Amino acid sequence: MLRQIAISCIVVVLALPAVARTRPHYGGTLRVEVEGDPWQRPGGLARRVVLDGLTAMSLDGTARPALAVEWKSENDDQRWQFRLRPGVHFHDGTTLTSANVVASLTAICGAGCPWTAIHAVGASVVFTSDSPLPNLPALLAGDNYLIALTGAGNTATPPGTVGTGPFQFGNSSNGVLILAANDNCWQGRPFLDAIEIHTHRSIHDQWLDMSIGRADLVEVPAEQLRQAHEQRLTVVASPPVSLLALTVSDSGALASPNLRASIALAVDRSSLFNVIFQKQGEITASLLPAELTGYSFLFSADRDVNRAHELRGGVPPPGLIIAAEGAPAMQLAAQRVALNLRDAGYNVQVAAAGVPQHIDLTLRRLPLESNQPQPAMESILRAAGLAIPVLEQTPAGLYKVEREILGAHLLIPLLYLPRAYAVSGRVRDLHLGPDGAPALAGASLEDAP
Amino acid sequence: MNLRQKLLLLLSLMVAIIVAAVAWTVLVRIRQVFEQRDQEETALFVSQFQREFQHRSAEVAASVDRIAASEHARSMAFELAQSGDASPYLNEAQTLAQDAQLDFLEIVGPDGNVVSSAQWPARFGYFEPIAWADQPTFLKTEDLPDGSSALGLFAYRAIGHSESTAEPVRVIGGRRLDRSFLADLPIAPGMQIALYRHEDQSPAATQQRHLGPDMFLFDPKRLIGTAGDVPHADRYEPLINSAFDKGQQTNSILYLTNRREDSVSATAIPLQSDTGAVLAVLVVAISRNGMVEAQQHIRAIAYGVAAGGILLAILASLWIAARVSRPIEQLAQAAEEVAAGNWETHVPQGGHDEIGTLARSFNHMTGQLVSQRDRLVQTERVAAWRELARRLAHELKNPLFPLQLTVENLVRARELPVAEFDEVFRESTHTLGMEIANLKTIIGRFSDFSRMPKPQLERIDANQALRRVAQLYFPATAHGAQATNDDAIPEAKIQCTLEIASDPIFIDVDPELLHRALSNLVLNAMDAMPNGGSLTLSATSREDKVEIRIADTGEGLTPEECERLFTPYYTTKQHGTGLGLAIVQSVVADHNGAIAVECRVGGGATFVITLPRAGESKS
Repeated sequence: MLRQIAISCIVVVLALPAVARTRPHYGGTLRVEVEGDPWQRPGGLARRVVLDGLTAMSLDGTARPALAVEWKSENDDQRWQFRLRPGVHFHDGTTLTSANVVASLTAICGAGCPWTAIHAVGASVVFTSDSPLPNLPALLAGDNYLIALTGAGNTATPPGTVGTGPFQFGNSSNGVLILAANDNCWQGRPFLDAIEIHTHRSIHDQWLDMSIGRADLVEVPAEQLRQAHEQRLTVVASPPVSLLALTVSDSGALASPNLRASIALAVDRSSLFNVIFQKQGEITASLLPAELTGYSFLFSADRDVNRAHELRGGVPPPGLIIAAEGAPAMQLAAQRVALNLRDAGYNVQVAAAGVPQHIDLTLRRLPLESNQPQPAMESILRAAGLAIPVLEQTPAGLYKVEREILGAHLLIPLLYLPRAYAVSGRVRDLHLGPDGAPALAGASLEDAP
Repeated sequence: MNLRQKLLLLLSLMVAIIVAAVAWTVLVRIRQVFEQRDQEETALFVSQFQREFQHRSAEVAASVDRIAASEHARSMAFELAQSGDASPYLNEAQTLAQDAQLDFLEIVGPDGNVVSSAQWPARFGYFEPIAWADQPTFLKTEDLPDGSSALGLFAYRAIGHSESTAEPVRVIGGRRLDRSFLADLPIAPGMQIALYRHEDQSPAATQQRHLGPDMFLFDPKRLIGTAGDVPHADRYEPLINSAFDKGQQTNSILYLTNRREDSVSATAIPLQSDTGAVLAVLVVAISRNGMVEAQQHIRAIAYGVAAGGILLAILASLWIAARVSRPIEQLAQAAEEVAAGNWETHVPQGGHDEIGTLARSFNHMTGQLVSQRDRLVQTERVAAWRELARRLAHELKNPLFPLQLTVENLVRARELPVAEFDEVFRESTHTLGMEIANLKTIIGRFSDFSRMPKPQLERIDANQALRRVAQLYFPATAHGAQATNDDAIPEAKIQCTLEIASDPIFIDVDPELLHRALSNLVLNAMDAMPNGGSLTLSATSREDKVEIRIADTGEGLTPEECERLFTPYYTTKQHGTGLGLAIVQSVVADHNGAIAVECRVGGGATFVITLPRAGESKS
C-alpha cells in the first residue's frame, strides 16, 4: 500500500510540470518581424493588437461584441445603433465615449464611409444610411474600422496609435516598434509583456533571423509556403483569406466589354497557381470561395486563347499597362499575366515604378474579411472600388448578383490565397484570426519567467 | 619693275617653290608614316579588344559549364526528369545567375520549355526557340519583360546529359552586352568603345528590316558608350551602316567636328548571331588627337623652318640681286646722265666679268664723246668766229664801199670849183652820214643780240598781243578779222587773217619782247610773200600751253633751211643779218617757251610759238 502511495506521488510529481507546461505563462517579449508597415491597413499587426473595433469577427465568421456590447438595426437595416461597452479606457486613460468613436470613424473614412451619417447618442453610436446595411456589424469588425483616439493632443505617440487594445505603443526607433502590454485592457491583460516588431525586414532576413533564434514570428508569403516547409519552419497558415484578382479599367483601351472578356479568357490561372504561388490557395473564377457559396464551380477558370482572340475581333492590339500591388510575387504574376495577354494578341507592359501613367489592369489582393458570403463579397467589392449592389441573402440570389458583377469583367478573380506565418518553438497558443492575422493577444512564450 | 625687283622676285619665287616642295614632301611623308602607325595601333587595339571579347565569351562559357556541372544543377535536372514538376525551380535561375554573376540564365526542361528564367521569371513554361547547335558561345537578342530586348553573349550546356535520355535539361547563360559590359573591358587611353544596336523587337524596326538594309534608319541615341551617350554619334552613321550592310569589319577615320584634333580612327565590328544576322555593331574608336597634335606640331615647325628659309632666301636674293644689278643700274644711270648731256659721267670699274668690261667700255665711250665734243666745240667756235668775221666783213663792206667812193669822190671834187665842190661836199657828207648811220644800225643789231634784256613779265592776253601786231602792220584788222596791206603794191597785196577767240588767253610774258618777236615773224612772212599772199595769225589754248601760229603762203622753206633757220647769222635774205629769228628764239626761250617751224616747199611756212599758259591763281 505504501509502495502504491509512493508510486502515485511520484507520478503526480512528474505530471505536475506537464500540467504547468500547458498553462500559458505571463511575461516575455515576442519578437516579430514584418516586411511592411505594421500600422498599414489592412493587415497591419500593430493595428490589430493596439486598436479594437466596435465588433470583432468570431471564428465562425459572425460578428461578436467588442467595444460595442450590443447592437440593433431599425428601418430595414438603414439605422444601426451600437451601445458601447462601459468602463473602457484608451491607453492614455481617456474614457471611451461615443464621441471618440464617431470622431475616429469619421477620420478613418470621411466622405467614403458606407454609411450616410454617424451620431453619438449617449453611450451609443448611431449609423444611418440611405440604403440598407445588413452587414454593418461584420463590416465594423474589419481592419479598416478600428477605433483610435483622435485629437487627443498627445505628442508622445504617433497619431492613430492610441487605442483600447491589449497592447499599447511603447516607442519606435530604428525600425523597431515596441508595444507594451496594456494592464488595464478591457479584455484582460495579455500574456506577453511586450511585442518587439522589426519593420521593413525582407523575407529572407526574417527567415534568417528565425533560423538563428532572433525572431519568434515571421511572415511567410503564400508563394514561399512550400519553401518554408522545405526549410522545416513551423508554419501556421490560414485558409484562403484574400482574393488575387485583376481589376480592369472600363475606360481607355478597355472600354469595350468584349476586350475585357477577351482578357479574362486569356489569363492562365493554372500557371499562377502551380508555379508562382507554388500550389498554395486555390484557383477560382468566382468572387467567393466554394465553401461560402457552393456555386463557384459554375464559373469556369479555364483559359481559352482562341476565344480570347475571337473576342478581340481582329482589333489591332491596344497598348495596355498592367500594374501590381505589393510583393515581388505580385510583380511576377503581373508579368505572367502580361505574357498571357501577349499570347492573345495584346501588347501589355508592366507599369514602371514611379512613372505616372494610365493603368489598364491592376493585379491586387482583395481581403475576405468575413466568413459570411455577403460581408465577404461586400469587402471584396469595396476593396476593388466597385459599386456594391443589393446582395441577396439566398445563394441563388447571390449567384445572380455575382454573375452580373463578373459579367462586366471589371474584376477577374484568379486565385484564393492563404496568409501564413512561421513561429519559433518558444511561442505558444498562437492562432490566426478569420482574416489570417495572428491573434497576438492570446499568445504566450514558452520560456517566459 | 626694275631689274633688281625682277631678280629679287624671280629668285624669291624659285626659292619659295623649292622650299614649299620640300616641306610638302616632308609633311606628306610624315602624315603617311603617322597614318600607318595609327592604323597599326588601331589594328593592335582592335585585336587586343577582340581577344578580350573572346576571353569574356570563354568566361561566360566557363560559368555556364560550372553551373551545368554543379551537383545542385544535376540534382535539379534529375528531379525534373523524374517528376516533370518545374514549379519548385521558379527562382532557381535567378539564384544561379546571381551566384555565377551572369545577367541571363534560363533553365530549359527536356520538353524545350523554360523552367526558370533569371531575366524574365514570368516566362516559365514558354518554349525556348533556340537551335541547340554545337557552338561554344553565340550572340542572341533576348526579350525582356519591359518589352525591350537586350543583346547578350550566351552559352548553353546540357545538365548531366546521357545518351539514354532523349532530351537533356539545359542551362543557357549569358552576359549582357551593354554599357557596363563595355566598361569592364580594358580600354586603352584615348580609346572609346560603343555599341550600336537597333531595337529589333519594335514593329518599326522590324518593318525597317523587311524593307532591307538600305532602309535602315540610323538613330544616334542607340549608340551607347561606356559613359552613356556617345558625343557626335551621328558621325558614326556611315561606318555603322557599312558594317551592318556588309557584315564585315569596317575601318574609317571619322572627323567628329571641324577640328582635325577631334577625329578618331574607328573600327566597326559587326556582332552576328549564329544565323549570320548582324545584331549589333561594336565600334572601337581611337582618338587621333595626339597624332594630329604631333602632326600639327611638326607642321608648325616645318612651316616655321620654311618661312625662315624663305626669308633668308629673300634676303640672300636681295643681296644677290643688288650685287648683280648695282653695276647695271650704275650703267643705266650713267647712260641717262650722258643722254642728259653730262658726258663727264663715269661708272666704277669693279671686277673682271662682263659687267666690268661693259663699265670700262662705257667709260671709254664717254671719254671719247667728251673728247669729240670738245673738238667739235672748238671747231664750231672757230667756224662761228669765221662766220662772224665774214658777216661783219660783209655787213661792214657794203657801207664802207660807198664811204670809200664818197671820200674818193670828195677828194676828187676838191679839184672842182667851190660851188660844185660845195654841192659835192654836201651830197657826200649826206651820203657819209647815211652810211655811218647804216653802220651804227648794223653795230646796234649785233649789240642787241649780244645783250638781250631780261624779260619783265606781265600778264597779257595773247589775243591782244596778236591784235596789236596785226594793227601795226594791218591797221584794218582793228575793224575785222581780215585786213589788207593797202600800202603795198597791188601785185603784192597781202591779206591778213586774225583767228583769235573771244575769250582771253592769258600768258605771263614781257609785252615788248613778245611784240618784237611777233613783229619780226610778221615782217619775215611779209618778206616771204613779195607777190602777195595770205597771212594768218592765230592763238589757241591747249591745256596748259598757248600756241601762237603765224602762217604765210609764201615760197616756203626747204628742210635744210628749216634746220638752220634759227642759227644766228643764218639768213635767206639778201640783206638780212641772220639775227632776227635767233632773237625770236632767244625771246621765246627766255619765256620758257619753244618755237618751231612747219615747212612746206612752195606751200608757205608756219611758225609755231608755244608758251606756258598763265596759272589760274594768277588770273
